[in-house]
Amino acid sequence: MPERTVTVASSVGLHARPAAVFVKKAKELPVPVTLAKEGGKPVSAKSMLQVMSLDVQHGDEVTVAAEGEGADVAVDELAGLLESDLDA
Amino acid sequence: MDISISSPLTGTAIGLAEVPDPVFAGRMVGPGAAVDPARKLQTAVAPIAGRLVKLKPHAFVVQSEDGRGILVHLGIDTVNLDGEGFELVATEGDQLRAGQPVVTWNPADVEAGGLSPVSPVIALDAEAAAIDAIADGTVVAGDELFHWRSRRAKDSAGPAAGAAGGTGKTKD
Repeated sequence: MPERTVTVASSVGLHARPAAVFVKKAKELPVPVTLAKEGGKPVSAKSMLQVMSLDVQHGDEVTVAAEGEGADVAVDELAGLLESDLDA
Repeated sequence: MDISISSPLTGTAIGLAEVPDPVFAGRMVGPGAAVDPARKLQTAVAPIAGRLVKLKPHAFVVQSEDGRGILVHLGIDTVNLDGEGFELVATEGDQLRAGQPVVTWNPADVEAGGLSPVSPVIALDAEAAAIDAIADGTVVAGDELFHWRSRRAKDSAGPAAGAAGGTGKTKD
């Protein structure tokens, strides 16, 4: 199962605006994708409720994982989003 | 089951399209409504009964027993205030009744600081079509703001699936 751990770049963390951008992209992907904080339980990257409840802060290390055909591309796309400042 | 979403604030109910933030106005966070709050010290209350799964000074999420989450975002770009001017009345993890106090703030102060106090109330992960009866005009905290109809995800299999068991008992 492909996964990648990245540092969240958005200055306010994964809150309303960055979370919306992230979840919107995740929902467009054809495979299940999860997001987890270091040592935490993975949640669905396609759920605003779950992503916002995860309370990801700027500088946190998070792991994106996906399964199935196209999982590599999915992980790369989402990891790329997390590494850019979505609030800029 | 349909749930009724109460206004967390006293003020004027407006459509999300009027929110001065493209992410909320474009329903990217989810469908719902917004409140242009009365410019006075007031306490935001829980819009539904449920658990306070996330509490920030400027925003909170209440999740109902059946798993639906409502986000209340107090003002626009208020994350940048770092909590200044917001007093937490409830604690993250609390089980709340609808209408129970959560955060005290003064929309007039937020506005004086150059930010919009307009507060989106969002049905997280909801389909736009599941939201109706959106209030318009003056609301008092606790008044109904909108309805969130049940997802009926299982119905999407179509009537044929339901008919398999005969004339049937519906589980709803």
